[in-house]
Amino acid sequence: MEFFLEIILNLIGLLVGLVIGTISYIGFKNTASPTLFRLSIAFFAIGIGFGILAAGFILDDFIFKTGDINRGISTLGVASQVVGYWFIAFSHTIRTFFPKSRYLRSIGAIPLFLVSFSYIENILRAVSFILLVYGAIETMISYIQGRRKTTLFVAIGLSLLGFGEIIGWYSFVFPESVLYASSIVIKIGGLISVGIPVSKIPLKKISFDENL
Amino acid sequence: MAEHRTQIKIVGEILDTATQEIDECEGTTITHIIRKANISHGRLSRILNNLVSQGLLEQVTSKRSYRYKTSPSGREFLVAYKTFREFSDDFGLTI
Repeated sequence: MEFFLEIILNLIGLLVGLVIGTISYIGFKNTASPTLFRLSIAFFAIGIGFGILAAGFILDDFIFKTGDINRGISTLGVASQVVGYWFIAFSHTIRTFFPKSRYLRSIGAIPLFLVSFSYIENILRAVSFILLVYGAIETMISYIQGRRKTTLFVAIGLSLLGFGEIIGWYSFVFPESVLYASSIVIKIGGLISVGIPVSKIPLKKISFDENL
Repeated sequence: MAEHRTQIKIVGEILDTATQEIDECEGTTITHIIRKANISHGRLSRILNNLVSQGLLEQVTSKRSYRYKTSPSGREFLVAYKTFREFSDDFGLTI
């Protein structure tokens, strides 16, 4: 059941990432905006990351049948997602990587790495969580300034992705609980929420002068 | 604090201003663009020359002065600019 949910989540992630990435790239081609270029790299990387994870789960489910995704494939997928989250955070101009407050540093940042230092994958997941939180906070600030509903959906989506990651970590502590399935459902909700702005893009083809 | 405007945003504002018709004449004067786009004359001249050479703006002569109007290509660009400006706004980013 968990494998099935993982495959669904990662295929949705692949779809959402590629759709937003493609639209951002079309925007970049037509406006030459560096922001849209960064956004396209970010979402292509996120989509490809989800795609790699989906491929890993599908391969194991149908061919290897070990009951767990290959560690190398999952690390590669998570690394690709981290690149994407980093570009989103970079677009919001990263000022500091960790919270300035000493209290937050001791209480907030250290537990992220307590899960496991031994696996690169867990470190990458911790980094992607930090970047997601940063992106969510910056997007929420943009919502407060502009009061655009779709910006709120993106902020909620990024928050849900981060929250789903946290819940996923707790499932290591309580492996038989519903936490893992819950984390996947939360992440699916987050991905759908992040994809909402795409619905506002007119689907009709916009023609442009080839000389532009 | 004044908001930092990217080059693309300035171009968008110039093209948007040049779509308007002032005094029932074709196009817009440089003075009007300077006022609406809030940009210096020197910088605006460089951008206008660039936009005219790229075919996004058309230069028309009217009453012994130059006026600028957005070309059909410029209007298409403006539609794309506005669409993707909203798209990047949705992600809390500035185009």
